[in-house]
Amino acid sequence: MSEKTAGQSIEETAGGRRRAIKTLGGIALASLLPAPWVRAASTVKIGYVSPQTGPLAVFAEPDAYTLAQVKRALAGGLRIGGQNYAVEIIYKDSQSNSNRAAEVTADLILKDKVDIVVAASTPETTNPVADQCELNGVPCVTNDTPWQPHFFGRGGDPKKGFEWTYHFFWGLEDIIGVYANLWEQIPTSKTVGALWPNDSDGNAWGDGKMGFPPVLQKKGFKLVDKGRYQSPSDNFSTYLNEFKKSGVDIVTGVVPPPDFANFWSQAGQQGFRPKIVTVAKASEFPAAIEAFGDRAAGLSVEVWWSPAHPFRSSLTGQSSAQLAADYTKASGRQWTMPLAFKHALFEVAVDALKRAEGKNPAAIRNAIRQTNLPTMVGPVNFRTGPVPNISKTPLVGGQWTRKGKNLELVIVENSQAPMVPVQGKLVPIA
Amino acid sequence: MTEAMDAAPACRIECGSRASRLAGALVLLFLMAGASMPFWAEPASLRALAEFFYVLALAQMWNLLAGYGGMVSIGQQAFVGLGGYTLVVLGLHAGVNPFLAVPAGGIVAGLLALPAGCVLFRLRGAYFAIGTWVMAEVFRQVIANITAVGGGSGLSVTRAVATIPTWWRQSLTFWCALLLGGGATFLVYALLRSRYGLALTAVRDSEPASASLGVSVRKVKWFVYVISAVGCGMTGALIFITKLRISPDAAFSPDWSALMFFVVVIGGIGTIEGPIVGALLYFALREMLGGFGTWYLIALGILTVAVMLWAPKGIWGSLVSRYDLRLFPVQRRLRPVDDERDATPPAVITAAPCAGTLKA
Repeated sequence: MSEKTAGQSIEETAGGRRRAIKTLGGIALASLLPAPWVRAASTVKIGYVSPQTGPLAVFAEPDAYTLAQVKRALAGGLRIGGQNYAVEIIYKDSQSNSNRAAEVTADLILKDKVDIVVAASTPETTNPVADQCELNGVPCVTNDTPWQPHFFGRGGDPKKGFEWTYHFFWGLEDIIGVYANLWEQIPTSKTVGALWPNDSDGNAWGDGKMGFPPVLQKKGFKLVDKGRYQSPSDNFSTYLNEFKKSGVDIVTGVVPPPDFANFWSQAGQQGFRPKIVTVAKASEFPAAIEAFGDRAAGLSVEVWWSPAHPFRSSLTGQSSAQLAADYTKASGRQWTMPLAFKHALFEVAVDALKRAEGKNPAAIRNAIRQTNLPTMVGPVNFRTGPVPNISKTPLVGGQWTRKGKNLELVIVENSQAPMVPVQGKLVPIA
Repeated sequence: MTEAMDAAPACRIECGSRASRLAGALVLLFLMAGASMPFWAEPASLRALAEFFYVLALAQMWNLLAGYGGMVSIGQQAFVGLGGYTLVVLGLHAGVNPFLAVPAGGIVAGLLALPAGCVLFRLRGAYFAIGTWVMAEVFRQVIANITAVGGGSGLSVTRAVATIPTWWRQSLTFWCALLLGGGATFLVYALLRSRYGLALTAVRDSEPASASLGVSVRKVKWFVYVISAVGCGMTGALIFITKLRISPDAAFSPDWSALMFFVVVIGGIGTIEGPIVGALLYFALREMLGGFGTWYLIALGILTVAVMLWAPKGIWGSLVSRYDLRLFPVQRRLRPVDDERDATPPAVITAAPCAGTLKA
């Protein structure tokens, strides 16, 4: 290198440095200023809240698989309002706690500045998340909470509905229909013992006007309801005594898994043998009921989705059976009902983003409102629901049956959703 | 100069230092800058700081109770929850401005602390701690069975909070939090520098000894317990203005007490700076490790146990014993007067009990 060129390059570097300092100063100044308008224009952000840890963690089991699958499907980005966007999904843990769910949602909205929020799994997650979105004007799609606890539990007005928050799942009328029809399949004393906890779900199910009691009375069932119990509970003796005394043949409820484990093992110890046990929440998951060993077979439950459901994904084109098989292959686990609902959550969000006229909250909200999409859990359309902002998905009934080593869920009741084929008949618990 | 002064070497009671006066000025400056934040800061920073301040408020209230009053409560969530439910009744049912629920929540909590104290002060030590927890559970169960406030399902206060325009909502939340956090710190500071502070720490160290010196033990305990309840109640109302959804499990969650316990113990129990340091550390840890799920909670637990075992005075307490640094001094310390300028010692100590040490 000659001296001259060396000198030149030093001068150039000095000039470059000066320029660099100026630019850096500019950037520093700009970053100090509150500038909400300088969002990264080429990325669309989806915030996802789910109970990764805590008592509801079993609902979030398919999350890792679903996220990987959605990311793969959206690797090429999304076209929104004629412009290409990369997609970023920000995943937050609610710790099965409504306080924490509200906190992380506020974080997603204010700090990460997401364009849309999705959330699932019980009122403890969907209600606080939707509340934050409604107040802050961010489009929000949720599922996996019966629609009444979600809509009325948040003070929803059927005439007005909500502005920013949309929800799809079945309702109490569906589960009451499924359960009642299921119980009529075999001869029993028609006496039903209820285990309803004092929480969002329990209070809705046991409600004297909207819940089970009026329908059961009309259908000729006798109800033994000792009132709402405080969950968690480790002693169900009083319930068991009352059930035995009144000749209860059918046990129902919406019971957190640990409570039901206590109830069912105490029932075994105290010689209470009902013919039918149809308990929501606790017996929805193979992992949870596997713990009962021989006493797991015969339990029945409502089924929101199964590999036998005649639906296809709008995102990947898979059928229900293919999704379940792929999940088992990827994770080594048996399919669970939330798997399809997590998938459908992103189906609805992605579909709305694609149809939105631009990447602004109002445009995305309008697109969600206009949703009419066949998804993995059935058709979703928020304009045809029982109240505004709600779309209903089909519900059938099933029974856990031992097939080889595995417990499998066999569909035995489809009065509320005839498109799902029945695979067998209800059998009394041995 | 009195004759006594000439006889004994001069010394004076010191309640402050140059560092503390500087700290005081800085804190005031920060608070003033902070109050203007809604006009220039991003909503995200406002929210983060609001959370910091209300956690600080809770921690100071617990610190006052446990660190200075010697009453280890694990049931302060009772008052957080009562504040939250005051918001439900006032904001949702009565339709008043939800921010009015903040002072009202304090009043309700204070009023209910009176009968609660009647029962609890019959207990001492570990029994008192368990008693406070039971008390919180009683409140939780009662609220869970009142259907008018949502029963066990809980309800959303979104409707009430949505009546306030966004900017005002964010700013008022921030100002309330700033007032509560700053106010709680100042209150503890002022209280401890007053004669009640002396009585309070005396009661903590030995109830019989302080009673024999003429301190009304019962009165002092009541006073502190009610103040702490009022602080937690006000903070509780504010917390649920930001959370929007309230249920007995969320409002009366033992997590609130665990949070206060963590912040105070890690930062340094029985110091005013401790809760500030603890709250900073809590938020730093949550920011860094919050994504690790259960492991994050396990880490917090292990850290608390480690601090209790090896640094029982907490971070700030350890710093103080090493560097004699006090930003909010509440101790009365005797100092030799080595400086001609401030050689006018208060008459109280002309007997100069510190003479021996001074000669040495």
